[in-house]
Amino acid sequence: MRGGAAVSLGAVAALLLLIGLPVGAILLQAAFPGLPRGDLSAPFSGVAAALSEPRILALIGNTLALGAAVSAGCLLLAAPLGLVRGLCRVPGAAAWDVLFLIPFMIPPYIAALAWIMTLQPRGYLAQLAGFDLGGFLFSFPGIVFVMVLNLYPLTYFAVARTVEAAGGRLAEVARVFGASPARALWRITLPLAMPGIVASLLLVFAMAIEEFGTPATLAARTGFHVLVTGIYTRFSDWPIDLPGAAVLSVVLMLLAGGAYALQLLILARRSFVSVGGRPAEASKAPLGRWALPVLAAFGTVTALGVGVPVAAVLATALTRTISGGLAWENLSLVHFAALFANRAGALTALANSLLLAAGAAALTGLVGALVAYVLNRTELPGRRLLDLLSLLPNAIPGIVVAVGLILAWNQAFWPVAVYNTPWMLLIAYCALLLPYPVRYATAALQQIGRSLDDAARVSGAGVAALVGRILLPLLLPSLGVAMLLVFAIATRELVASIMVAPAGFPTVSTFVFAQFEQGSAGVGMAMSVIAIFASTAILVALAAAARRV
Amino acid sequence: MPARRHLLLSALAAPALIAPARAQAPLTIYTAGPQNLIDSLVSGFRAAGGPAANVFQATTGRVMARLEAERANPIADVVISASWSSARDLKAQNLLLPYLPAAAAAVPPALKDGHYVAQAVSGLGIVWNSRSGTPRPAEWDDLARPEFRNLVTLPDPAQSGSNFDLIAGLLAARGDAAWELFAALRRNGAIVAGANQQALNPVLQGAKAAVFGAVDYIALEARARGESVEVIFPASGTVIAPRPAMILASSRNQEAARRFLDYMLSDDGQRRIARLFLMPSRADIPAERPTIAELRVLGFDETAAEARRADILARFRQVMGV
Repeated sequence: MRGGAAVSLGAVAALLLLIGLPVGAILLQAAFPGLPRGDLSAPFSGVAAALSEPRILALIGNTLALGAAVSAGCLLLAAPLGLVRGLCRVPGAAAWDVLFLIPFMIPPYIAALAWIMTLQPRGYLAQLAGFDLGGFLFSFPGIVFVMVLNLYPLTYFAVARTVEAAGGRLAEVARVFGASPARALWRITLPLAMPGIVASLLLVFAMAIEEFGTPATLAARTGFHVLVTGIYTRFSDWPIDLPGAAVLSVVLMLLAGGAYALQLLILARRSFVSVGGRPAEASKAPLGRWALPVLAAFGTVTALGVGVPVAAVLATALTRTISGGLAWENLSLVHFAALFANRAGALTALANSLLLAAGAAALTGLVGALVAYVLNRTELPGRRLLDLLSLLPNAIPGIVVAVGLILAWNQAFWPVAVYNTPWMLLIAYCALLLPYPVRYATAALQQIGRSLDDAARVSGAGVAALVGRILLPLLLPSLGVAMLLVFAIATRELVASIMVAPAGFPTVSTFVFAQFEQGSAGVGMAMSVIAIFASTAILVALAAAARRV
Repeated sequence: MPARRHLLLSALAAPALIAPARAQAPLTIYTAGPQNLIDSLVSGFRAAGGPAANVFQATTGRVMARLEAERANPIADVVISASWSSARDLKAQNLLLPYLPAAAAAVPPALKDGHYVAQAVSGLGIVWNSRSGTPRPAEWDDLARPEFRNLVTLPDPAQSGSNFDLIAGLLAARGDAAWELFAALRRNGAIVAGANQQALNPVLQGAKAAVFGAVDYIALEARARGESVEVIFPASGTVIAPRPAMILASSRNQEAARRFLDYMLSDDGQRRIARLFLMPSRADIPAERPTIAELRVLGFDETAAEARRADILARFRQVMGV
């Protein structure tokens, strides 16, 4: 099957280029501090030096503390809500699900800036209510608070889904045998759901320690630095420290990768769970007199996770001056006018982001389909390795991918220049977001019976016709959802964008970041309004499509 | 940049990306300072017949970091920094092309060198929010008084080149007593907050009342937009920050780079700079703000200060607890 071999080869090459190269560059740089000068002496001397420095140990400690605290916060805030959603009939459940996805669409750094504008002394809260919470915000609990409000949807959906699956029939069996509802929950549902809940918390942990925007925005004011900000500083403050950045990147990669691997392990062992189709909504318990408190809790979390940040973003975007505050005479559309006049390249940034996101969606969709094909339909030796490689970006923080790409491509010896071109951004987005199409396409392909393949082959179709006429059309719905997801995330990606964007090629996120660093906060927030509403529109479309499927 | 590199993306993309292939090769400019300043200069340069420009705009610290990271594979043609000593540093490493535009004849000798020339000069001052309910400060030391408890921000000298110069100037004028002032600021709850605009943002909303040592033109421009901020230059003296522009010796577009420096010092270029409340470096172009003649400038040995850069930054971090 020559066509199959070509497909396999293409998939392997794409994965090596996208993921193998940057990771390899970082490992080499961490091992050989003199690498940029072509000096391979004193291997691993930088590792010991970096790891014995007290400031770096503090960075590692802070990173672990932040990850643990954010996971705990998500558990406290979202697990009860997820439990209720999974076991009870919550009025307007589908609407709450969509509302709970929006925090995911608000870029974390924008949410952090919005909270600063709201809670700092004389911020929007003080202007409306006469008191401020600046002391709370600019502290470790404050950083955790903002990050929990960004990440709680992960825990909420994981808990809701696992207790829904675990709670249904077995809990009913327990009830038949005379267990009280509380006992059935405590002895049956929760133990069965525990692996899923723990796995989601590990995912939160990995995402919290990889997050750049929130620590970079809030931590500068609190002196609380983590590995991600440490890597960024070593890379972008003069004098730079490439070996130090590489060693810290490896440490961060190990922490995030460890959390991710543990998560996979826990999920893989969860073979005792009874998944037999979705339990009907009707089998869920009615809320009764608890309906009001439950709705109040859902409403409060939505107000904090979505309402406050969006309101603060709108307020800043729609007021002429910041010092003028919330006053009717200060209301103005000047910042949107500046945006649409392409001031500071705003429209260019928007166009660049849309173009790159579309390119990333197309490329990851293609590679994702190829990888899924190789995994499901070929006997290629070493395809488990391919599987692992394609999921690796889940465990690799965005900043590490960016550092790796710069180390790999910022070299004079490449025959074609990739560094300082928009290709860097495209590669970075593809490397970071590839797991989505791979996972969606693999799942979909597993459900397409091989009998279709056989039928096609019996009728004389080659590999090309089989893929093009049979598999791809069947694959397209779920692959399309994954590609839309890639599109939405790529339009707002921050850390890789600020590090690898070539000169003269702004993206939405670098534009907003630069406006806050050296420009006008109002214009930055006007751009954020457009970004948030555009990605939420995509999200609503996704939710609608998912309901139809 | 060769059109070839963009070919594949162009195929994916709008025809807009293909168009520049016919025109002159674009100039790559790395600049510290606000986006609107470089945007204004680039659009003027284009109107005067120059090629398009790819701009990387950041803080002095990030511009220098990017140059260093690209040492093996240099990208930039023109570099504009906000720190005079960074230009001297690049020249000492033989990375600069010797060039001085003819119009530099009108630039005072202190603001030019054979390898770099100031595009403009900014001053450092106290930026104060007049609606903050605090008394109008007149001196650096006023910001350490109880009225300003928890209400002062400082730009980070590791990122802001000009703020580093202010510390060096205060050290030259006061000796080690300058560290006393910073210690008093810290006891009074002052915080170090990023580069210039990041230090200014909390002051605009009134979360903080004043910036200690802000670059003046950013605040003057905010004031012109209607923000309630004032720039105050202490009578005891402050420092000025010339913004050196230079051409990298590795530039593959040197002709266009020279033309850009020529344009920057032309009447039109200098007037555009003046409109954004910087002091034009040419003495014969009027400024639209207080000039060097009206400030008391603290002198200091820049070479010695630069040699002690790491020490000074470490001491600053220790005193301010960051």
